Amino acid sequence: MLKINKASFNDFLLDLMRYNELIAPVKTDESRFELVKDIKQIEISLHTYFPVKKLFFRKHQTMFSFDKNKLAEPETSAEKKQRVIVGLKRCDLNSIRRQDIMFMKDTKDPYYKEERDRTILVGYNCKEPFDEYCFCSSMDLGDYYDLMLYDKDDAYLVEIGSEKGRNFVDRYRKYFWDTELFLRPEDRRIETKLQLDKRDIKEYYNHPDWKKMVDICFSCAACVTLCPSCYCFDIHDEVDATLNKGERKRNWAACQLPCFTKVAGGHVFRSTREDRFKHRIYHQLQYFKDRHGMTLCTGCGRCIRGCPTRINFVKGINEMKLEK
Amino acid sequence: MPRVKTAKEEPEQQSANPYLPVSTKITSFKRESSDCFMIRIDFKTKHDPGQFVQLTLPGIGEAPISIASYSQEFMDLNIREVGNVTKALSKMKKGDTLFVRGPYGKGYPMDKLFGKELIVIGGGSGVAPLKGILSYVDKHKNNFGEVSLYFGFRTPEDILFKDEMRQWRNKYNLNLSVDKNPNKARISCDVCFITNLIEKAKLNPENKIVFICGPPMMMNITISILKNKGFKEEQIYVSTERLMQCALGICGHCMIHGKYTCLDGPVFRYDEIGQYTND
Ligand SMILES: Cc1cc2nc3c(=O)[nH]c(=O)nc-3n(C[C@H](O)[C@H](O)[C@H](O)COP(=O)(O)OP(=O)(O)OC[C@H]3O[C@@H](n4cnc5c(N)ncnc54)[C@H](O)[C@@H]3O)c2cc1C
Ligand code: SF4
Ligand code: FES
Repeated sequence: MLKINKASFNDFLLDLMRYNELIAPVKTDESRFELVKDIKQIEISLHTYFPVKKLFFRKHQTMFSFDKNKLAEPETSAEKKQRVIVGLKRCDLNSIRRQDIMFMKDTKDPYYKEERDRTILVGYNCKEPFDEYCFCSSMDLGDYYDLMLYDKDDAYLVEIGSEKGRNFVDRYRKYFWDTELFLRPEDRRIETKLQLDKRDIKEYYNHPDWKKMVDICFSCAACVTLCPSCYCFDIHDEVDATLNKGERKRNWAACQLPCFTKVAGGHVFRSTREDRFKHRIYHQLQYFKDRHGMTLCTGCGRCIRGCPTRINFVKGINEMKLEK
Repeated sequence: MPRVKTAKEEPEQQSANPYLPVSTKITSFKRESSDCFMIRIDFKTKHDPGQFVQLTLPGIGEAPISIASYSQEFMDLNIREVGNVTKALSKMKKGDTLFVRGPYGKGYPMDKLFGKELIVIGGGSGVAPLKGILSYVDKHKNNFGEVSLYFGFRTPEDILFKDEMRQWRNKYNLNLSVDKNPNKARISCDVCFITNLIEKAKLNPENKIVFICGPPMMMNITISILKNKGFKEEQIYVSTERLMQCALGICGHCMIHGKYTCLDGPVFRYDEIGQYTND
């Protein structure tokens, strides 16, 4: 097993910053993954309020530009630096896995892939649940990282998860030491207090208790914006004053807003808040699983933490299932 | 005939960037009614009837349009003016350039339906994708039994494909209706809803396959009439329409209860989406 001593961890990060963009959990007004300018900003165990997805699936993406009838793809930045994200939690890493499926499995999304290819994922295994909204230990999360750090006394034990991770360790070998220490099963697993009853929700589609949650939903879309897995987007064209030149852009979209399904004639398919709320939950827990064998949700709790009325869909669903 | 390849498997047609359309020229433009027109584009690709393409006018936007023909030499698109892209398209003419990507989606599984009798039901501009079926049937005459058409339009002025209607009347069992005839035009069709004609018709479900494309209301009524006549959901194929952005099964807009209209549809066998047609 490999380890990095905590005493030399900062030196390692400083060394990294010389040739790489270093990104880590940083606390500002709210906490988020940000480009590190000063390593004193880093709080490696912090579970960020905002998700990491913006680093791969950008909020605003130019897809191509046009000048009359000439289209041009955005220049690929060959000289862009390698990027290392340190401090990704297991739920974050698993949401990257979900987004990798959407943007790189069947359809190769060039914008996402470019950012993903230049990034090394270094996880940090939570020692304890961050707060009462985390429910990751009920979500069957897998291993998905280049490196994983396990906090153990005065060192981080290091697990290598990929070829990319191995090459990375080789490059910075002087910080990594062999150790007799090893991981016990309980070092890997934490138990969250909140647990989702993951039995199929198929037969609950018409259950009256959805209303209890929906009645206090504003359709503000905070939940899907904060979700690290949600990947829906809009596409539109922007033109300059000549009307000839411009760009096709894509932006994050939100299924909680009525315009998400609005078609010609003004018809909105999911017109009620209940339709939209259930769409979110079913997409997270059922549709994605039917297609890809895993829930879209990774139990990070952000949609509950960030909801202005703290709608706890986990408790809501558990209660529905208890009644039966 | 093997199922046609999707665009993704045909790199010679498309850039590696799946969102980037290719340029093509309009080779003919024909006005069909006050708000519908037909363009033929020089876009050569294999496709199934019922598939669609994404048309781009740079700076205006992109719109999914069903393929209304069945040929590897050209592509016909019937377009209704409803908004930015479709109105701008209506001002184009022969020789103009536009951009296209596709074909996308699952069309009508025609090659799996050999030997069946076909009932083709369309309302308004919903007739356009069905036109692809008829071109297909023309090219595979001996593979299908009797073909009956039920096409309904709002008024005589809205009737699309008037030239083709004449040929279809000779070849197939064509039933045509208009909802009303306000200008007292001389017409040779019924004045009623197309659903009334279907209700009256003696339809025996045996060995039949039904294709329906039209406004949601008309599709719902038609389906309940057919069910009353003993048709099973497995015999009915519907074309669905949803807001679409990517056409690649990512952006999420077109989802119907977990199915992507752009990937798993737009043609669904009715039992695949059944009760969720409004989701
Ligand atoms: C699979 C599929 C096949 C289609 N085939 C045809 C066809 O053969 N002929 C045809 O005329 N139309 C077809 N449509 C509908 C056509 O795509 C829309 O009318 C078109 O996108 C509207 O674009 P616009 O820029 O003109 O309108 P906009 O200015 O974008 O909008 C006008 C109105 O249309 C709505 N709208 C926007 N995009 C869509 C959309 N994708 N579907 C429905 N409404 C939308 C808007 O919400 C708004 O209410 C099809 C749609 C789908 C999904
Ligand atoms: S954050 Fe809460 S209130 Fe806002 S849309 Fe999501 S569930 Fe509804
Ligand atoms: S149109 Fe984007 S997922 Fe279907």
